[in-house]
Amino acid sequence: MNRVETSRKTHTGRKLTLYQKQNLVGWAFLIPATLLIIWMCFYPMLRALLLSFQSGTGARMSFAGLKNYAYLLKDGIFIQTLKNNFIYLIIQVPIMLVLALALAALLNNPHLRLRGLYRTAIFLPCATSLVSVSLIFRAMFAVGGFVNITLMKLGLIQTDINWINGSGETARALIIIALIWRWTGYNMVFYLSGLQSIDSTLYEAAYIDGANRFQQFRRITVPLLKPTILLTAILSTNGTLQLFDESYNLTRGGPSNLSMTMSHYIYRMSFETVPKFGYAAAMSYVIFILVAILALLQMKVGDKR
Amino acid sequence: MKKLVSLILVLLMAMSLVSVSAVAEDGSHKLTVWCWDPAFNIYAMKEAAKLYKEIDPAFELDVIETPWNDLQTKLTTAGMAGDYSTLPDIFLCQDNAFQKNVLAFPDMFNDLTASGVDFSQFGAAKTAYSVVDGKNYGVPFDNGAVIQCVRTDILEQAGYTVADLTDIDWDRYIAIGEDVLAKTGKPMLSSTAGEPDMIMMMLQSAGASLFDAQGKPAIAGNEALKKAMDVYTTMVKKGILVEVTGWDGYIGTLVNSTVAGTINGCWILASIQTAKDQSGKWAVTNMPKLPGVEGATNYSNNGGSSWAVSSNCKNTALAYDFMSKIWGGSVAFYEDILPSSGALATYLPAGKSTVYSQPQEFFGGDTVFTKITEYAGKIPSNYTGAYYYEARNAVAVAMTTILGGGDVDAALAEAQSTVEFAQGV
Amino acid sequence: MKRRLVSILTYTFLTVTAVFSVFPLLWMAISATNTSQVVLSGSLVPGTHLYDNYLALLQNQPVWRAMGNSFTYSIGQTLLAMVICSLAGYGFEVFHTRNKDRLMSLLLMAMMVPLAATMVPLFQMMGKMGLLNTAIGFVLPSVSTPFLIMMFRQSARSFPHDIIEAARIDGLNELQIFFRMFFPTMRATYAAALTIVFMNAWNNYLWPKVIMQTNDSMTMPMLTANLMSGYVVDYGMLMLAVLLSTLPTVIIFFLLQKSFTEGIAGAIKG
Repeated sequence: MNRVETSRKTHTGRKLTLYQKQNLVGWAFLIPATLLIIWMCFYPMLRALLLSFQSGTGARMSFAGLKNYAYLLKDGIFIQTLKNNFIYLIIQVPIMLVLALALAALLNNPHLRLRGLYRTAIFLPCATSLVSVSLIFRAMFAVGGFVNITLMKLGLIQTDINWINGSGETARALIIIALIWRWTGYNMVFYLSGLQSIDSTLYEAAYIDGANRFQQFRRITVPLLKPTILLTAILSTNGTLQLFDESYNLTRGGPSNLSMTMSHYIYRMSFETVPKFGYAAAMSYVIFILVAILALLQMKVGDKR
Repeated sequence: MKKLVSLILVLLMAMSLVSVSAVAEDGSHKLTVWCWDPAFNIYAMKEAAKLYKEIDPAFELDVIETPWNDLQTKLTTAGMAGDYSTLPDIFLCQDNAFQKNVLAFPDMFNDLTASGVDFSQFGAAKTAYSVVDGKNYGVPFDNGAVIQCVRTDILEQAGYTVADLTDIDWDRYIAIGEDVLAKTGKPMLSSTAGEPDMIMMMLQSAGASLFDAQGKPAIAGNEALKKAMDVYTTMVKKGILVEVTGWDGYIGTLVNSTVAGTINGCWILASIQTAKDQSGKWAVTNMPKLPGVEGATNYSNNGGSSWAVSSNCKNTALAYDFMSKIWGGSVAFYEDILPSSGALATYLPAGKSTVYSQPQEFFGGDTVFTKITEYAGKIPSNYTGAYYYEARNAVAVAMTTILGGGDVDAALAEAQSTVEFAQGV
Repeated sequence: MKRRLVSILTYTFLTVTAVFSVFPLLWMAISATNTSQVVLSGSLVPGTHLYDNYLALLQNQPVWRAMGNSFTYSIGQTLLAMVICSLAGYGFEVFHTRNKDRLMSLLLMAMMVPLAATMVPLFQMMGKMGLLNTAIGFVLPSVSTPFLIMMFRQSARSFPHDIIEAARIDGLNELQIFFRMFFPTMRATYAAALTIVFMNAWNNYLWPKVIMQTNDSMTMPMLTANLMSGYVVDYGMLMLAVLLSTLPTVIIFFLLQKSFTEGIAGAIKG
């Protein structure tokens, strides 16, 4: 039986078998990675989904249908965290990406002196651990801290600004500053890499045609970097919606939860207060769905332009 | 390619070698403990083990340093996963979180009521933190009795002494504070912005809680809480209390002499004493009481933790014996740990020991430890319950609203409904 | 004249940005040389207490053990992730079919899940497999990541098909082609992947804090948390620990900087 099958295969055309064989080899290449993702991510996700339909505190859980999701709509703190996440997304991501793009464009100039030094310095924050970032920023932006003293010396403010606990605006501003500080260099490297593949003759031609630096940037750099910009936009959106460390360490969510992110609230609900895992899981699914929708939207927009 | 494959194999093997077995052998005289702070809890645990070794020479103790945040995360994950096999025999639990954890994971704790530990020998307010349904789940350890520490040199400039700040109420404190601020330019005290520690201390000093006996939130219309909020806001507005950023900022105001004093749990002594140049300039007394509130006292509690014996403990007889003979029975042990760690016991017999009555150079030759043990016996109990952190967070939000000029009653009503919502989820 | 102005503006802007970027790190390094009291006073003057802080740290915490652990876990995660994800990325691109493309889009969903949601089930699984306190338990959830697979897939796009065909005719099997042809050509991509994965692994905090339950398995971020957990915090010592835990990632970036940019370039060109 076996022998018949094999011999039949070898006789019915080599091309198909080669294709089949290669297809199988291809699957073999990606099976370890795929299995790992299914095992270590999708399976726990499924468990979390089941959990989101249960309610109760601690280990005493019972089926509750959509109760957790219904509660979300009534939870003032959750809605606040959702708003915060969107504020971070809408303000921080564009500023950071534009800044990164501008820096990359400047650093791409081969005649620029100290290029390597600038590049390294701007990328350096990215290598810093999150604990240190929050420690340093808390100290620098403290009442009577370095930033306030400097601003006062410059005459920009009269009295200390209580950045971290003064108001929602300053606390969120601080998180945005910290995010920009930490991630601009990272995105800049992506753009710098993208720029390397742009033919320099394009710029020379544009220069001859009388286009100034800014026009060159708009007409050549941005369109050619589009795939990179899309990639960084998706990565940053994803990162911003899952933001945890900055909120948890830097502002502790304060004041009055005005700078707390969704992930931070999930963590608080799971580990700091009475554990409400069903509810926390429901929140995670909201994040998941939002990220998915936004990623799809960005890809659609990116394709059109 | 072969090189790479073998490299990966070697790597995998090396990695499995790194794996350390956490399983304790049965029938041995070994206990595993989770706790934090090498200078304090861990030190005390190791000293306790040394003493117990005299009773049981085969005794062994393995302390695993685990900061409270991590410890809570581990407890919750183990509890949610229903897998207690990863837990140590004994772990330290913050008092504020004790009832919460017992209520959420009742199977995680051993009932210690009949373990042989004599709980009547500990401060009543302290023991109450780890009691659920009349059962004792924790052996009290460090003292969180609230003290007022003052800089005598700064007070002197304004014409005051420690006696003027002893056994007073907040109205008097504010009056003195205004005077000190006017004469020396220094605020009386500092606190961390956004953290309601000070409010909670004032609340407990009047024997009030954020919950009633049935566990329902009692935030809206809570007179003691309203008064505490009022005192706090007045002090901030008058500049008597300066709000700073974070713990480091708070400690900074103390060691850099920017404030004339502080009010906190007695464990703050250790941080104060790091500023060696200020030796002899500090004094300790009790905290002011809430004026016009029934049951108000000059005593309260902030922080502190207790030991729990986990249900994963295979050798409970050993753990109970260790806890009752050392932690709940040895004055010598508490005498031993006090000098180098400053760990003050809530074990009342220890307060009478001569080590506790040693005068302290740093605090102008005062016998501060006897004083504090005395305070500890006078603290009114309060009820933390399962939803303490929800309530605390809600109060923090209310505090920020009120400081920003919001209406007190409205802010507290809001906090009340936030906690009620959390209880309903 | 105008050119000059533009160039002055450019240099000013870059210098200001660079200073802002480096300043906080400099502050950290300076603080590591001061006593706690001086750090709290906000001083920017280097002190003489670096060695004292080091001795205090050594006495207080098993720094080198934690360093060693962090290195073992991070290097393990980096090497395994590079092999597994590059195999998959190569497979997705070189042997691509409709179904494989569909699978790739599905796998991308894994990027969108917050760890807080999957932590408890993951912990349960690790407990059952006896992988708590082990390096394998540390790396397993983050060895295979959609981002890295995508990066290798994009890079593989620029890998010429003729080379593969030629190699096949020469009688090399597919794995041999991968390791002998693809691997050496894609050095820059691997360098970029190494930098990214190593940084993530090294700074990972939430996950190890759940599964590492012994002193012997502690990581550097956990050690830093230990230093902040007591009633008294020594800020000079703390800053030194933070500095030590930042150095490896900084050094790796310094060493691989050039290939890092090239690698990312390869990954986004395709």
